[in-house]
Amino acid sequence: MKLFLSLTVSILLGATFCFVFWVVASHDYQWSAIAPYWKNFLNGWTTTLLISAAALVLSILIGALLTSGQLSPHRVPRWLSRAFVEIIRGTPLLTQILIGYYLIADTIGWDSRFGVGLVILSCFSAAYLAEIFRGGIESIPKSQWLSARAIGFSEFQTYRHVIIPQAIRRVLPASAGQFANLIKDSSLLFVISVHEFTMQARETNANTYATFESYLPLILGYFILTFPISLLSRHLEKRFAYEN
Amino acid sequence: MRIETLNLSKIYGATKAVDDVSVSLGDEVQVLALIGPSGGGKSTFLRLLGGLEVPTAGAVKIDGSPLPRDEDALREVRRKNGFLFQSFNLFPHLTALENIVLPLVEVYGRSRAEATGRAGEVVERFRLTDHVKKQPGQLSGGQQQRIALARAMAHDPALLLLDEPTSALDPEMKAEVLDLIAELCESGQQIVLSTHEMGFAKRSADHVVFLAEGKCVEDASSATLFENPETAMVSAFLQKVMKW
Repeated sequence: MKLFLSLTVSILLGATFCFVFWVVASHDYQWSAIAPYWKNFLNGWTTTLLISAAALVLSILIGALLTSGQLSPHRVPRWLSRAFVEIIRGTPLLTQILIGYYLIADTIGWDSRFGVGLVILSCFSAAYLAEIFRGGIESIPKSQWLSARAIGFSEFQTYRHVIIPQAIRRVLPASAGQFANLIKDSSLLFVISVHEFTMQARETNANTYATFESYLPLILGYFILTFPISLLSRHLEKRFAYEN
Repeated sequence: MRIETLNLSKIYGATKAVDDVSVSLGDEVQVLALIGPSGGGKSTFLRLLGGLEVPTAGAVKIDGSPLPRDEDALREVRRKNGFLFQSFNLFPHLTALENIVLPLVEVYGRSRAEATGRAGEVVERFRLTDHVKKQPGQLSGGQQQRIALARAMAHDPALLLLDEPTSALDPEMKAEVLDLIAELCESGQQIVLSTHEMGFAKRSADHVVFLAEGKCVEDASSATLFENPETAMVSAFLQKVMKW
Protein backbone atom coordinates (compact mmCIF):
# COMPACT_ATOMS: atom_id res chain seq x y z
CA MET A 1 0.00 0.00 0.00
CA LYS A 2 2.80 2.39 0.94
CA LEU A 3 4.71 1.44 -2.22
CA PHE A 4 1.57 1.92 -4.30
CA LEU A 5 1.01 5.40 -2.85
CA SER A 6 4.65 6.41 -3.32
CA LEU A 7 4.53 5.24 -6.90
CA THR A 8 1.23 6.99 -7.66
CA VAL A 9 2.42 10.27 -6.19
CA SER A 10 5.73 10.07 -8.04
CA ILE A 11 4.10 9.31 -11.38
CA LEU A 12 1.34 11.92 -11.09
CA LEU A 13 3.58 14.74 -9.91
CA GLY A 14 6.45 13.75 -12.24
CA ALA A 15 4.13 13.74 -15.24
CA THR A 16 2.60 17.08 -14.25
CA PHE A 17 6.02 18.72 -13.85
CA CYS A 18 7.19 17.35 -17.23
CA PHE A 19 4.05 18.46 -19.03
CA VAL A 20 4.04 21.98 -17.60
CA PHE A 21 7.76 22.37 -18.23
CA TRP A 22 7.37 21.16 -21.82
CA VAL A 23 4.48 23.58 -22.52
CA VAL A 24 6.29 26.53 -20.96
CA ALA A 25 9.63 25.71 -22.57
CA SER A 26 8.29 25.04 -26.06
CA HIS A 27 6.52 28.39 -26.38
CA ASP A 28 8.08 30.78 -28.88
CA TYR A 29 9.10 33.70 -26.67
CA GLN A 30 9.86 37.23 -27.81
CA TRP A 31 11.98 38.34 -24.86
CA SER A 32 13.27 41.32 -26.83
CA ALA A 33 9.76 42.80 -26.61
CA ILE A 34 9.92 43.25 -22.83
CA ALA A 35 13.66 43.82 -22.53
CA PRO A 36 13.36 47.63 -22.47
CA TYR A 37 11.14 47.31 -19.37
CA TRP A 38 13.62 45.43 -17.17
CA LYS A 39 14.09 48.42 -14.90
CA ASN A 40 10.36 48.61 -14.23
CA PHE A 41 10.37 44.95 -13.22
CA LEU A 42 13.28 45.52 -10.87
CA ASN A 43 11.60 48.56 -9.30
CA GLY A 44 8.34 46.65 -8.93
CA TRP A 45 10.11 43.70 -7.35
CA THR A 46 11.90 46.00 -4.90
CA THR A 47 8.60 47.65 -3.98
CA THR A 48 7.04 44.23 -3.36
CA LEU A 49 10.03 43.26 -1.22
CA LEU A 50 9.85 46.48 0.82
CA ILE A 51 6.12 46.49 1.36
CA SER A 52 6.09 42.77 2.23
CA ALA A 53 8.97 43.07 4.70
CA ALA A 54 7.37 46.07 6.41
CA ALA A 55 3.93 44.43 6.42
CA LEU A 56 5.43 41.27 7.87
CA VAL A 57 6.78 43.13 10.91
CA LEU A 58 3.67 45.27 11.30
CA SER A 59 1.33 42.28 10.96
CA ILE A 60 3.17 40.41 13.70
CA LEU A 61 2.72 43.40 16.01
CA ILE A 62 -0.96 43.89 15.18
CA GLY A 63 -1.52 40.12 15.29
CA ALA A 64 0.02 39.89 18.76
CA LEU A 65 -2.16 42.79 19.89
CA LEU A 66 -5.30 41.10 18.54
CA THR A 67 -4.32 37.84 20.23
CA SER A 68 -3.86 39.56 23.57
CA GLY A 69 -7.25 41.20 23.02
CA GLN A 70 -8.89 37.84 22.39
CA LEU A 71 -7.28 36.30 25.47
CA SER A 72 -8.18 39.27 27.67
CA PRO A 73 -10.26 38.59 30.79
CA HIS A 74 -12.36 41.65 29.91
CA ARG A 75 -15.28 41.45 27.52
CA VAL A 76 -14.85 44.65 25.53
CA PRO A 77 -11.35 44.00 24.10
CA ARG A 78 -12.31 40.38 23.55
CA TRP A 79 -15.38 41.26 21.51
CA LEU A 80 -13.65 44.03 19.56
CA SER A 81 -10.70 41.82 18.64
CA ARG A 82 -13.03 39.00 17.70
CA ALA A 83 -15.09 41.35 15.50
CA PHE A 84 -11.95 42.69 13.78
CA VAL A 85 -10.65 39.19 13.07
CA GLU A 86 -14.00 37.90 11.79
CA ILE A 87 -14.69 40.89 9.54
CA ILE A 88 -11.20 40.91 8.00
CA ARG A 89 -11.12 37.16 7.49
CA GLY A 90 -14.65 37.06 6.15
CA THR A 91 -14.35 39.72 3.42
CA PRO A 92 -12.22 39.96 0.25
CA LEU A 93 -8.88 41.74 0.47
CA LEU A 94 -9.66 43.54 -2.79
CA THR A 95 -12.71 45.20 -1.21
CA GLN A 96 -10.74 46.09 1.91
CA ILE A 97 -8.08 47.79 -0.20
CA LEU A 98 -10.66 49.79 -2.16
CA ILE A 99 -12.64 50.87 0.92
CA GLY A 100 -9.48 51.47 2.91
CA TYR A 101 -7.95 53.73 0.30
CA TYR A 102 -10.87 55.50 -1.39
CA LEU A 103 -13.10 55.87 1.70
CA ILE A 104 -11.16 55.71 4.95
CA ALA A 105 -7.75 57.07 3.95
CA ASP A 106 -9.45 59.71 1.80
CA THR A 107 -11.59 60.86 4.74
CA ILE A 108 -8.58 61.40 6.99
CA GLY A 109 -6.68 62.98 4.10
CA TRP A 110 -3.92 60.38 3.79
CA ASP A 111 -2.96 59.81 0.17
CA SER A 112 0.26 57.77 0.33
CA ARG A 113 -0.64 54.70 -1.74
CA PHE A 114 2.33 52.80 -0.38
CA GLY A 115 1.52 53.73 3.24
CA VAL A 116 -2.19 52.93 3.01
CA GLY A 117 -1.46 49.72 1.13
CA LEU A 118 1.03 48.71 3.80
CA VAL A 119 -1.45 49.27 6.64
CA ILE A 120 -4.31 47.42 4.92
CA LEU A 121 -2.10 44.50 3.99
CA SER A 122 -0.75 44.33 7.56
CA CYS A 123 -4.23 44.37 9.09
CA PHE A 124 -5.36 41.66 6.69
CA SER A 125 -2.45 39.39 7.49
CA ALA A 126 -2.64 40.22 11.21
CA ALA A 127 -6.17 38.81 11.43
CA TYR A 128 -4.91 35.45 10.20
CA LEU A 129 -1.80 35.56 12.38
CA ALA A 130 -3.94 36.39 15.43
CA GLU A 131 -5.87 33.16 14.99
CA ILE A 132 -2.64 31.19 14.51
CA PHE A 133 -1.09 32.76 17.64
CA ARG A 134 -4.24 32.20 19.71
CA GLY A 135 -4.41 28.57 18.64
CA GLY A 136 -0.75 28.11 19.56
CA ILE A 137 -1.14 29.63 23.00
CA GLU A 138 -4.34 27.74 23.77
CA SER A 139 -2.70 24.45 22.72
CA ILE A 140 -0.23 24.61 25.62
CA PRO A 141 -1.53 22.19 28.29
CA LYS A 142 -3.19 23.61 31.39
CA SER A 143 -0.67 21.69 33.51
CA GLN A 144 2.00 24.17 32.38
CA TRP A 145 -0.07 27.05 33.76
CA LEU A 146 -0.61 25.21 37.04
CA SER A 147 3.08 24.46 37.31
CA ALA A 148 4.05 28.08 36.62
CA ARG A 149 1.50 29.31 39.16
CA ALA A 150 2.82 26.88 41.77
CA ILE A 151 6.36 28.17 41.22
CA GLY A 152 5.11 31.67 41.91
CA PHE A 153 5.35 33.12 38.42
CA SER A 154 3.13 36.09 37.66
CA GLU A 155 0.93 35.92 34.59
CA PHE A 156 3.47 37.96 32.63
CA GLN A 157 6.35 35.71 33.69
CA THR A 158 4.30 32.65 32.76
CA TYR A 159 3.69 33.96 29.25
CA ARG A 160 7.26 35.09 28.81
CA HIS A 161 9.14 32.05 30.12
CA VAL A 162 6.71 29.18 29.75
CA ILE A 163 3.85 29.70 27.31
CA ILE A 164 5.28 31.82 24.48
CA PRO A 165 8.55 29.87 24.01
CA GLN A 166 6.55 26.67 23.64
CA ALA A 167 3.87 28.29 21.49
CA ILE A 168 6.46 29.72 19.06
CA ARG A 169 7.49 26.22 18.05
CA ARG A 170 3.89 25.29 17.38
CA VAL A 171 2.92 28.38 15.37
CA LEU A 172 6.02 28.53 13.15
CA PRO A 173 4.84 26.37 10.23
CA ALA A 174 1.44 28.06 9.96
CA SER A 175 2.96 31.54 10.38
CA ALA A 176 5.49 30.89 7.62
CA GLY A 177 2.61 29.92 5.34
CA GLN A 178 0.83 33.15 6.22
CA PHE A 179 3.98 35.21 5.49
CA ALA A 180 4.21 33.63 2.03
CA ASN A 181 0.52 34.49 1.51
CA LEU A 182 1.22 38.05 2.57
CA ILE A 183 3.88 38.44 -0.13
CA LYS A 184 1.58 37.08 -2.81
CA ASP A 185 -1.41 39.08 -1.56
CA SER A 186 0.58 42.30 -1.97
CA SER A 187 -0.02 41.85 -5.72
CA LEU A 188 -3.62 43.03 -5.18
CA LEU A 189 -2.36 46.49 -4.30
CA PHE A 190 -2.36 47.24 -8.06
CA VAL A 191 -6.01 48.33 -7.63
CA ILE A 192 -4.82 51.46 -5.87
CA SER A 193 -1.87 51.83 -8.25
CA VAL A 194 0.93 50.85 -5.92
CA HIS A 195 3.73 50.20 -8.39
CA GLU A 196 4.61 46.76 -7.11
CA PHE A 197 5.82 43.74 -9.08
CA THR A 198 2.49 42.52 -10.52
CA MET A 199 1.47 46.07 -11.49
CA GLN A 200 4.65 46.39 -13.55
CA ALA A 201 3.94 43.11 -15.31
CA ARG A 202 0.40 44.28 -16.15
CA GLU A 203 1.69 47.57 -17.52
CA THR A 204 4.38 45.86 -19.56
CA ASN A 205 1.76 43.54 -20.99
CA ALA A 206 -0.50 46.47 -21.86
CA ASN A 207 2.34 48.20 -23.67
CA THR A 208 3.81 45.23 -25.53
CA TYR A 209 1.01 42.65 -25.83
CA ALA A 210 3.75 40.11 -24.92
CA THR A 211 1.59 38.39 -22.31
CA PHE A 212 3.67 35.37 -21.36
CA GLU A 213 6.91 37.32 -21.45
CA SER A 214 5.40 39.93 -19.10
CA TYR A 215 3.93 37.52 -16.57
CA LEU A 216 6.52 34.73 -16.47
CA PRO A 217 9.10 36.80 -14.52
CA LEU A 218 6.52 36.95 -11.70
CA ILE A 219 6.97 33.23 -11.03
CA LEU A 220 10.68 33.59 -10.44
CA GLY A 221 10.39 36.94 -8.64
CA TYR A 222 7.78 35.78 -6.08
CA PHE A 223 9.44 32.43 -5.54
CA ILE A 224 12.75 34.13 -4.69
CA LEU A 225 10.84 35.97 -1.93
CA THR A 226 8.75 33.11 -0.53
CA PHE A 227 11.24 30.24 -0.64
CA PRO A 228 13.70 31.70 1.92
CA ILE A 229 10.79 32.09 4.36
CA SER A 230 10.05 28.41 4.04
CA LEU A 231 13.75 27.59 4.62
CA LEU A 232 14.01 29.95 7.59
CA SER A 233 10.90 28.45 9.17
CA ARG A 234 12.35 24.95 8.98
CA HIS A 235 15.59 26.15 10.48
CA LEU A 236 13.77 27.86 13.36
CA GLU A 237 11.56 24.82 13.96
CA LYS A 238 14.71 22.82 14.60
CA ARG A 239 16.14 25.50 16.86
CA PHE A 240 13.03 25.67 19.03
CA ALA A 241 12.47 21.91 18.96
CA TYR A 242 12.00 19.97 22.18
CA GLU A 243 10.80 16.47 22.87
CA ASN A 244 7.38 16.09 24.36
CA MET B 1 3.65 23.33 61.33
CA ARG B 2 0.30 24.45 62.57
CA ILE B 3 -2.44 23.96 60.02
CA GLU B 4 -6.02 24.85 60.74
CA THR B 5 -8.97 24.79 58.41
CA LEU B 6 -12.32 26.23 59.41
CA ASN B 7 -15.41 25.01 57.54
CA LEU B 8 -13.28 24.92 54.41
CA SER B 9 -15.21 24.40 51.14
CA LYS B 10 -14.34 24.52 47.47
CA ILE B 11 -17.17 24.19 44.96
CA TYR B 12 -16.70 23.85 41.18
CA GLY B 13 -20.06 24.35 39.50
CA ALA B 14 -22.24 21.64 41.04
CA THR B 15 -19.34 19.65 42.49
CA LYS B 16 -18.38 20.07 46.11
CA ALA B 17 -14.71 19.12 45.82
CA VAL B 18 -14.05 20.02 49.44
CA ASP B 19 -17.07 20.22 51.69
CA ASP B 20 -16.96 21.91 55.07
CA VAL B 21 -13.67 20.51 56.34
CA SER B 22 -12.36 21.60 59.73
CA VAL B 23 -9.09 20.16 60.99
CA SER B 24 -6.54 21.45 63.46
CA LEU B 25 -2.95 20.23 63.51
CA GLY B 26 -0.26 21.29 65.93
CA ASP B 27 3.50 21.69 65.77
CA GLU B 28 4.07 18.01 66.47
CA VAL B 29 2.93 17.23 62.91
CA GLN B 30 5.83 17.43 60.47
CA VAL B 31 4.51 15.17 57.72
CA LEU B 32 0.79 15.15 56.92
CA ALA B 33 -0.68 12.57 54.54
CA LEU B 34 -4.02 12.99 52.78
CA ILE B 35 -5.56 9.68 51.84
CA GLY B 36 -8.88 8.41 50.56
CA PRO B 37 -10.62 7.30 47.38
CA SER B 38 -9.88 9.04 44.04
CA GLY B 39 -12.03 12.10 43.53
CA GLY B 40 -12.50 12.42 47.28
CA GLY B 41 -11.00 15.91 47.49
CA LYS B 42 -7.35 15.21 48.40
CA SER B 43 -5.92 17.25 45.54
CA THR B 44 -8.21 20.22 46.05
CA PHE B 45 -7.62 20.22 49.80
CA LEU B 46 -3.86 20.18 49.23
CA ARG B 47 -4.10 23.04 46.75
CA LEU B 48 -6.18 25.06 49.19
CA LEU B 49 -3.52 24.54 51.89
CA GLY B 50 -0.78 25.65 49.50
CA GLY B 51 -2.54 28.78 48.26
CA LEU B 52 -3.06 27.49 44.73
CA GLU B 53 -6.83 27.73 45.03
CA VAL B 54 -9.07 30.22 46.80
CA PRO B 55 -11.74 28.61 49.00
CA THR B 56 -15.40 29.11 48.14
CA ALA B 57 -16.11 29.34 51.87
CA GLY B 58 -14.21 28.95 55.10
CA ALA B 59 -10.55 29.67 55.77
CA VAL B 60 -7.09 28.18 56.08
CA LYS B 61 -4.68 29.25 58.81
CA ILE B 62 -1.01 28.36 58.58
CA ASP B 63 0.99 28.95 61.77
CA GLY B 64 -1.83 31.11 63.07
CA SER B 65 -2.14 33.50 60.14
CA PRO B 66 -5.03 33.14 57.68
CA LEU B 67 -4.20 32.71 53.98
CA PRO B 68 -5.10 35.79 51.95
CA ARG B 69 -7.71 35.67 49.20
CA ASP B 70 -6.30 38.04 46.57
CA GLU B 71 -4.01 36.76 43.85
CA ASP B 72 -0.96 38.96 44.54
CA ALA B 73 -0.82 38.10 48.23
CA LEU B 74 -1.47 34.44 47.49
CA ARG B 75 1.44 34.41 45.05
CA GLU B 76 3.70 35.44 47.92
CA VAL B 77 2.38 32.49 49.94
CA ARG B 78 3.01 30.10 47.04
CA ARG B 79 6.53 31.41 46.66
CA LYS B 80 7.31 30.26 50.20
CA ASN B 81 6.01 26.78 49.38
CA GLY B 82 7.22 24.06 47.02
CA PHE B 83 4.85 22.00 44.87
CA LEU B 84 5.08 18.69 43.09
CA PHE B 85 2.24 17.28 40.98
CA GLN B 86 1.44 13.89 39.53
CA SER B 87 3.20 14.47 36.25
CA PHE B 88 4.01 16.83 33.42
CA ASN B 89 5.05 19.66 35.61
CA LEU B 90 8.50 20.39 34.24
CA PHE B 91 8.84 22.87 31.38
CA PRO B 92 9.57 20.71 28.31
CA HIS B 93 11.44 23.39 26.34
CA LEU B 94 14.09 23.93 29.03
CA THR B 95 16.88 21.64 30.22
CA ALA B 96 16.52 19.99 33.62
CA LEU B 97 19.03 22.44 35.08
CA GLU B 98 17.31 25.47 33.56
CA ASN B 99 14.01 24.24 35.04
CA ILE B 100 15.57 24.66 38.49
CA VAL B 101 17.56 27.82 37.75
CA LEU B 102 14.78 29.85 36.09
CA PRO B 103 12.49 30.16 39.15
CA LEU B 104 15.45 30.99 41.40
CA VAL B 105 16.37 33.86 39.09
CA GLU B 106 12.90 35.08 38.16
CA VAL B 107 10.96 34.50 41.37
CA TYR B 108 13.59 34.71 44.09
CA GLY B 109 15.82 37.33 42.46
CA ARG B 110 19.05 35.34 42.72
CA SER B 111 21.85 36.09 40.28
CA ARG B 112 22.32 33.54 37.52
CA ALA B 113 25.65 32.36 38.96
CA GLU B 114 24.20 32.01 42.45
CA ALA B 115 21.14 30.17 41.11
CA THR B 116 23.24 27.80 39.02
CA GLY B 117 25.40 27.04 42.07
CA ARG B 118 22.34 26.37 44.22
CA ALA B 119 20.76 24.17 41.50
CA GLY B 120 24.03 22.21 41.32
CA GLU B 121 23.89 21.55 45.08
CA VAL B 122 20.31 20.28 44.93
CA VAL B 123 20.83 17.98 41.95
CA GLU B 124 23.92 16.56 43.61
CA ARG B 125 21.99 15.88 46.79
CA PHE B 126 19.28 14.19 44.70
CA ARG B 127 21.90 12.27 42.66
CA LEU B 128 20.78 13.80 39.36
CA THR B 129 23.99 15.46 38.22
CA ASP B 130 24.26 13.24 35.12
CA HIS B 131 20.92 14.39 33.80
CA VAL B 132 20.96 18.16 34.17
CA LYS B 133 21.79 18.94 30.54
CA LYS B 134 18.87 16.88 29.21
CA GLN B 135 15.40 18.14 28.41
CA PRO B 136 12.50 16.54 30.31
CA GLY B 137 11.43 14.57 27.22
CA GLN B 138 14.76 12.73 27.33
CA LEU B 139 14.36 11.66 30.97
CA SER B 140 12.42 8.76 32.48
CA GLY B 141 9.29 9.51 34.49
CA GLY B 142 11.13 8.91 37.75
CA GLN B 143 14.00 11.19 36.77
CA GLN B 144 11.50 13.88 35.75
CA GLN B 145 9.75 13.67 39.10
CA ARG B 146 13.08 13.87 40.94
CA ILE B 147 14.10 16.93 38.92
CA ALA B 148 10.70 18.47 39.68
CA LEU B 149 11.26 17.69 43.36
CA ALA B 150 14.69 19.33 43.15
CA ARG B 151 13.02 22.40 41.66
CA ALA B 152 10.44 22.46 44.45
CA MET B 153 13.19 22.19 47.08
CA ALA B 154 15.75 24.59 45.57
CA HIS B 155 14.46 27.65 47.44
CA ASP B 156 14.17 25.86 50.81
CA PRO B 157 10.37 25.95 50.99
CA ALA B 158 8.71 26.33 54.35
CA LEU B 159 6.13 23.75 53.30
CA LEU B 160 6.51 21.11 50.60
CA LEU B 161 3.22 20.05 49.01
CA LEU B 162 3.18 16.80 47.03
CA ASP B 163 0.07 15.94 45.02
CA GLU B 164 0.09 12.20 44.32
CA PRO B 165 3.77 12.40 43.40
CA THR B 166 4.09 8.77 42.31
CA SER B 167 0.68 7.96 40.83
CA ALA B 168 1.87 8.25 37.22
CA LEU B 169 5.00 6.14 37.69
CA ASP B 170 5.75 2.44 37.31
CA PRO B 171 6.81 0.53 40.47
CA GLU B 172 10.57 0.87 40.11
CA MET B 173 10.37 4.60 39.53
CA LYS B 174 7.82 4.94 42.33
CA ALA B 175 10.41 3.47 44.67
CA GLU B 176 13.17 5.86 43.62
CA VAL B 177 10.89 8.89 44.11
CA LEU B 178 9.50 7.61 47.43
CA ASP B 179 13.07 7.00 48.68
CA LEU B 180 13.83 10.62 48.02
CA ILE B 181 10.66 11.87 49.72
CA ALA B 182 11.40 9.64 52.73
CA GLU B 183 14.84 11.25 52.93
CA LEU B 184 13.22 14.68 52.98
CA CYS B 185 10.82 13.56 55.72
CA GLU B 186 13.75 12.38 57.83
CA SER B 187 15.65 15.62 57.28
CA GLY B 188 12.86 17.52 59.04
CA GLN B 189 11.18 19.07 56.00
CA GLN B 190 7.54 20.03 56.60
CA ILE B 191 5.48 18.07 54.10
CA VAL B 192 1.85 17.68 53.09
CA LEU B 193 1.26 14.91 50.59
CA SER B 194 -1.74 13.28 49.02
CA THR B 195 -1.07 9.69 48.15
CA HIS B 196 -2.36 6.23 47.36
CA GLU B 197 0.80 4.64 48.79
CA MET B 198 -0.61 3.44 52.12
CA GLY B 199 2.63 1.78 53.20
CA PHE B 200 4.49 5.01 52.70
CA ALA B 201 1.84 7.10 54.49
CA LYS B 202 1.84 4.69 57.43
CA ARG B 203 5.62 4.73 57.76
CA SER B 204 6.49 8.37 57.01
CA ALA B 205 3.51 10.49 58.01
CA ASP B 206 2.88 11.71 61.55
CA HIS B 207 -0.73 12.48 60.88
CA VAL B 208 -3.31 11.35 58.36
CA VAL B 209 -6.49 13.00 57.08
CA PHE B 210 -8.95 10.71 55.28
CA LEU B 211 -11.10 12.53 52.74
CA ALA B 212 -14.07 11.09 50.84
CA GLU B 213 -16.68 12.96 48.78
CA GLY B 214 -15.10 16.20 49.91
CA LYS B 215 -15.64 15.48 53.61
CA CYS B 216 -13.06 14.78 56.26
CA VAL B 217 -14.10 11.30 57.41
CA GLU B 218 -11.33 10.84 59.94
CA ASP B 219 -8.21 12.64 61.02
CA ALA B 220 -5.81 11.06 63.46
CA SER B 221 -2.20 10.25 64.06
CA SER B 222 -0.81 7.82 61.55
CA ALA B 223 -0.49 5.03 64.11
CA THR B 224 -4.09 5.43 65.31
CA LEU B 225 -5.68 5.71 61.89
CA PHE B 226 -3.91 2.72 60.37
CA GLU B 227 -4.15 0.46 63.44
CA ASN B 228 -7.52 1.41 64.91
CA PRO B 229 -9.65 3.29 62.38
CA GLU B 230 -12.75 4.73 64.01
CA THR B 231 -15.18 4.58 61.12
CA ALA B 232 -16.36 1.62 59.11
CA MET B 233 -15.59 3.52 55.90
CA VAL B 234 -11.89 3.99 56.66
CA SER B 235 -11.54 0.49 57.94
CA ALA B 236 -13.16 -0.92 54.77
CA PHE B 237 -10.98 1.29 52.57
CA LEU B 238 -7.79 0.24 54.32
CA GLN B 239 -8.71 -3.42 54.19
CA LYS B 240 -9.33 -3.13 50.48
CA VAL B 241 -6.17 -1.24 49.53
CA MET B 242 -3.86 -3.01 51.98
CA LYS B 243 -5.09 -6.46 50.93
CA TRP B 244 -2.51 -6.82 48.18
